[in-house]
Amino acid sequence: MAGFILKRLLQAVFVVLAVTLIVSFAVRLSGDPAIMLTGAGSVTEQDLKNIRQALGLERPFIVQYLSFLQGIVVGDFGRSFMGGTSVSKLIGQALPATLLLAFASLLTSIAVSIPLGVYAAVKRGGAPDQLIRILSLVGLSFPNFWLAIMMVLFFSITLGWLPPSGMEGPKSFIMPALTMAIILTATNVRLVRTSMLETLSQQYIMVARSKGLKDWVVLYKHALRNSAIPLVTYVGVQFGNLIGSIVIVERVFNWPGMGTLAFDAISARDYPVLQGSITVLALFIVLINLVVDIAYGLIDPRIRTE
Amino acid sequence: MKFSKFLMAAGLAAAVAMPLATQSAQAAGILTVAISIDPGSWDPIDTFVVPWGSVGSNIYDGLTSRGPDMKLQPGLATSWELLDNNNRIRFKLRQNVKFHNGEPFNAGAVKFTFDRLLGDEGKKGPQQSNYNSIDHVEIVDDYTVDFVMKQPDPVLLTKLAGYGGMIVPPKYIQEKGDEYFNTHPVGTGPFKFVEYTPKVSLTLEAFPEHWGGAPKLDKVVYRIIAEANTQVAELQAGRVDIANLVPFGLAPTIEKSPDLKLVSITGPTVVSLRLNTKNGITKDVNVRKALIMAIDRDAIIKAVLLGHAKPIASFQSDLSFGYDPALKPLPFDLAKAKQLLQQAGVPAGSTVKIDFRGPDATFREVAQASAGFLQALGLKVSLQPYETPVLLNDIIPNGKTGEAWQNAWGGWTFDYDNTAYLMYHSGEKWNPYDNDAKLNALLEKQRSIYDVKEREKILREVAAYVAEQALEIPLYNENTVMGVNKRVKNLVPPADRRFRFTDVSVD
Repeated sequence: MAGFILKRLLQAVFVVLAVTLIVSFAVRLSGDPAIMLTGAGSVTEQDLKNIRQALGLERPFIVQYLSFLQGIVVGDFGRSFMGGTSVSKLIGQALPATLLLAFASLLTSIAVSIPLGVYAAVKRGGAPDQLIRILSLVGLSFPNFWLAIMMVLFFSITLGWLPPSGMEGPKSFIMPALTMAIILTATNVRLVRTSMLETLSQQYIMVARSKGLKDWVVLYKHALRNSAIPLVTYVGVQFGNLIGSIVIVERVFNWPGMGTLAFDAISARDYPVLQGSITVLALFIVLINLVVDIAYGLIDPRIRTE
Repeated sequence: MKFSKFLMAAGLAAAVAMPLATQSAQAAGILTVAISIDPGSWDPIDTFVVPWGSVGSNIYDGLTSRGPDMKLQPGLATSWELLDNNNRIRFKLRQNVKFHNGEPFNAGAVKFTFDRLLGDEGKKGPQQSNYNSIDHVEIVDDYTVDFVMKQPDPVLLTKLAGYGGMIVPPKYIQEKGDEYFNTHPVGTGPFKFVEYTPKVSLTLEAFPEHWGGAPKLDKVVYRIIAEANTQVAELQAGRVDIANLVPFGLAPTIEKSPDLKLVSITGPTVVSLRLNTKNGITKDVNVRKALIMAIDRDAIIKAVLLGHAKPIASFQSDLSFGYDPALKPLPFDLAKAKQLLQQAGVPAGSTVKIDFRGPDATFREVAQASAGFLQALGLKVSLQPYETPVLLNDIIPNGKTGEAWQNAWGGWTFDYDNTAYLMYHSGEKWNPYDNDAKLNALLEKQRSIYDVKEREKILREVAAYVAEQALEIPLYNENTVMGVNKRVKNLVPPADRRFRFTDVSVD
């Protein structure tokens, strides 16, 4: 087991290294931060040179990259080109916001998909099943920014119940989390349904039923637990995807998270912030996959020896 | 679980959510403003972005200032005179002015500000280059300073009202350091800094000892909201009093709302389609004229910009120094355009490629409309969107454009000099193709003339010459559009969005 974990850890380190290299390199291919900083002003080539010098961009790429790596090791991602705020501070502020939103979305989705999925499986082929399947298809096909805007129009402007944007207290979580959750739920319901159907056809379920156990005991105590395994691992993967797709939702709701941070950094060619936030996100996703892998290994010995 | 039970649970959840409902009422005395970008630093010499100005003009004062009408007026300097053959400008300073931290404002503060701007600290930022005509500042006495010029700069007085000319407190910066100053700004303005959360918000409170009188508001809260639709939603929900980003499409919504007011005033931004004078059919001046005449600019303003723009004859707004009301753009005349094209021997189906900033949704529609007009001329038009930095940093400066490209410009000095020089002087980044000796000479000449009338005459000559050469298709001068809650009183919206909230109050 120790060998397996070590191997996976080494792979993770390699992935993160590759991500940092690609990001640092790619971001330097287009756009000069010095020009972005000066706008379209009356700057001479010498002015731009001075600014690049001050930002440390006159150094060869490999030197810049190595100093970035060196910083990562000690948790220092450098300073933003815009105003010199410490990137670690910006990430420290944005990461919790994104994680909280991701958790809220995931929990909402799970809370909705399990009962719906189970119900669809039980009523397999019936009208409720069809309805849930159609609804989940509709949910999948919605562009989430559209959904977000519709919710803002209804809940914030027409009804005045919820704040249209920002992160200020529990109320502000409702719309962004729902937007994300609807997309997730569409997939999760189908997963629960399929997994449940498979479990329900197992012999031990028949045994449970023939023992005369109540319907809900069979469903929620026996069947659901067994069909939850694929769901749990899928949710791990989903969490990674979630972080990736949160950018648009964060932007619409002006959520002060990693998506907003990275998006602004791209627009401004703020290399340190972009490198820092992408690296942290990559680390995060790699970490989740690592945990999933290890959990798999713990559950299923066959994977360990592979 | 029965389905009905599930429904019941859902209903219960909704019932729990209900008491959360509150009508977001704004507190009295607090004005909330949405700005689009966080400049990251509130130090005047670190940035050029407009949202900085929306904030900074309340924290700082310059030696001169500009009112909402864009006219120059005294600021921390009460008067000035040109000495020494225009090589020296002497400023008399306002007395009994204090910085927010209690430090006195005097000649020392002015010298410190400009030493810093023109020295190593200024070198790291974008503002220094605007002030390079100043050699150094000399203290004459406690309330008199001399600006010793390196070269003549007739726009200097205007520039002193610009970001880089904002006066900063010497002792505070020397004690706390530049980095601390970035996020804890101190100036002499009507509002003082309270709190800043990067990328989220910034709060100011009234500075009652301000030399211009105590502000009526208690606090101003700036919220950073990048998405225009979100700014408008916040405005509609009553949680933001001023939205600076209003998409043209949402302007009617704001106009219709009983609580809101749409502000649409002449702004600094001008937009044109610059033409490639080196390659393609646009090499020929008559073809360029034909293209101008083929595009119905009034129709574009009406249909795409919903009337929130004005036609232009030269690349400047009518607030700009150098604007000539007598100069008229070539009229929309398709028949004449066809004739010109024919005379120039341009075969039908010749290509015109238009490069533009991809994320600019408004201009995308303008480009599509223009393409339609040019197709009516028998040309084959292709549209090429670019990511903005790529277009601005690579395609234009390196002369890789198509026959036409989007040129958008916000002349912050409201003086044609800066714009015209950067657009039409040879070797400038925005002028990849032309090298016209006559234009160069005119542009250089006006830079050393302090006589207002004479300089204006030359700038008008430049504009007329550019129009005659048809270097670009002048499209429009975009209005400064913002949404304001009606509870905001006494707001005179400035064209450049550099609000000064001294007299503003909220109900």
